[in-house]
Amino acid sequence: MTRLVTGRSLGLIVCTRCRATVRAIGAEQSTCPRCEAPLYVRRPHSLSTSAALVITAAVLYIPANVLPVMHTHEIFSDEDDTIMSGVISLAHQGSWPIALLVFFASMVVPLLKLVALGEILFAISRGRVRHTRQRSRLFRIVEFVGRWSMLDVFALSLLASLVQIQSLATIQIRPGAFAFAAVVVLTLLAAQTFDERLLWDADTRD
Amino acid sequence: MSSVIVCHACDLAHRLDSLAAKARVRCVRCRAELYRTNDGSPDTVIALAATALALFILANVYPLVALSVNGSTRMTTLIGAAASFYEQGYGALAILVAFTAVVVPLIQILTLLYLLIPLRLGYAVRGRNVLFRILGALRPWGMAEVFMLGAVVALVKLSAQSEVSPRVSLIAYGLLMFSIAALINATPGEQYWRWVSTYVRATRTGTRRMREVRT
Repeated sequence: MTRLVTGRSLGLIVCTRCRATVRAIGAEQSTCPRCEAPLYVRRPHSLSTSAALVITAAVLYIPANVLPVMHTHEIFSDEDDTIMSGVISLAHQGSWPIALLVFFASMVVPLLKLVALGEILFAISRGRVRHTRQRSRLFRIVEFVGRWSMLDVFALSLLASLVQIQSLATIQIRPGAFAFAAVVVLTLLAAQTFDERLLWDADTRD
Repeated sequence: MSSVIVCHACDLAHRLDSLAAKARVRCVRCRAELYRTNDGSPDTVIALAATALALFILANVYPLVALSVNGSTRMTTLIGAAASFYEQGYGALAILVAFTAVVVPLIQILTLLYLLIPLRLGYAVRGRNVLFRILGALRPWGMAEVFMLGAVVALVKLSAQSEVSPRVSLIAYGLLMFSIAALINATPGEQYWRWVSTYVRATRTGTRRMREVRT
């Protein structure tokens, strides 16, 4: 195996915003000569900030799935819907592709994000070297699909604004929606705070 | 040293001459895209941004979807959807929806127009660096395509019990989604700076100077 040379060992820093390669001079805190973004060899407190966000999101994941996200009031019926019951009623309605889509976006993706980010952060804190490539691939999947969990929040906003026909039917938002949106936002932030380079640092001994 | 490229995702250093002059170069270790040469001109992006701006206005002025039950029709707009959260006491959710589906796309469009039109004319603009960084930071928060699919989900849900129909704004928003995707894709971070060095010759303080250095 050829010896791997990193930017850090050469005293070079890549600007995270404009990707200019900059020669690091002494002090850690400096700004990019091209776009003036702050420069750092590794994002400060990346691991701990990211971990804190993942843990908070994991806690909120419970109310997000247990509490109802909306309440439908009709003349002869009153009904609470959770994320899961929303998916089930779509399936009952016969809209399988849409039910599957919402199931993935609202249930699979948030869980995947929590588990994947948790595993990656844990592996780094333990200095695990093996399977770095797989973890890197996993992280990029998480980064790519993460935004799609906002789907249900947007659908909810439209339902709540359309179904407001006082005499017939109204839809009200319930606290589960807030918890759910918080999980989505916190996991997005966790992925953004995580410095991918930390994954590979154990792989390069320099 | 100028021939060294460092991977932004895994910090591996690459010697540029060993990478050949390919259009798209990936990191040999982590497969992250190191750079992409793009023959695209800022003109394309300006045209796309102008289209997106027109669509954005249409999408915000007209109603998004209509719901008819027993002869009475109710319509909602893009902002109306976000406002419904606010009306029910969930202000934070209203801000989240308005920000990701409306505000971020608008900032992206306006910022690109502001950065690229003067650049094309050979001017340097005030606040260029700040705006460039804002553009990068906002990128993950523009969720036009997710909103679009969310609207589809809401329509399918309602179609079971009532009559729903998409309106002008939803179609405009769908087209807006595509033009923003094209816009963002045509302007990778480094591309902007390549354009700056092609079209603008100005001091860092932003002194205006009419000099095009295209050859």
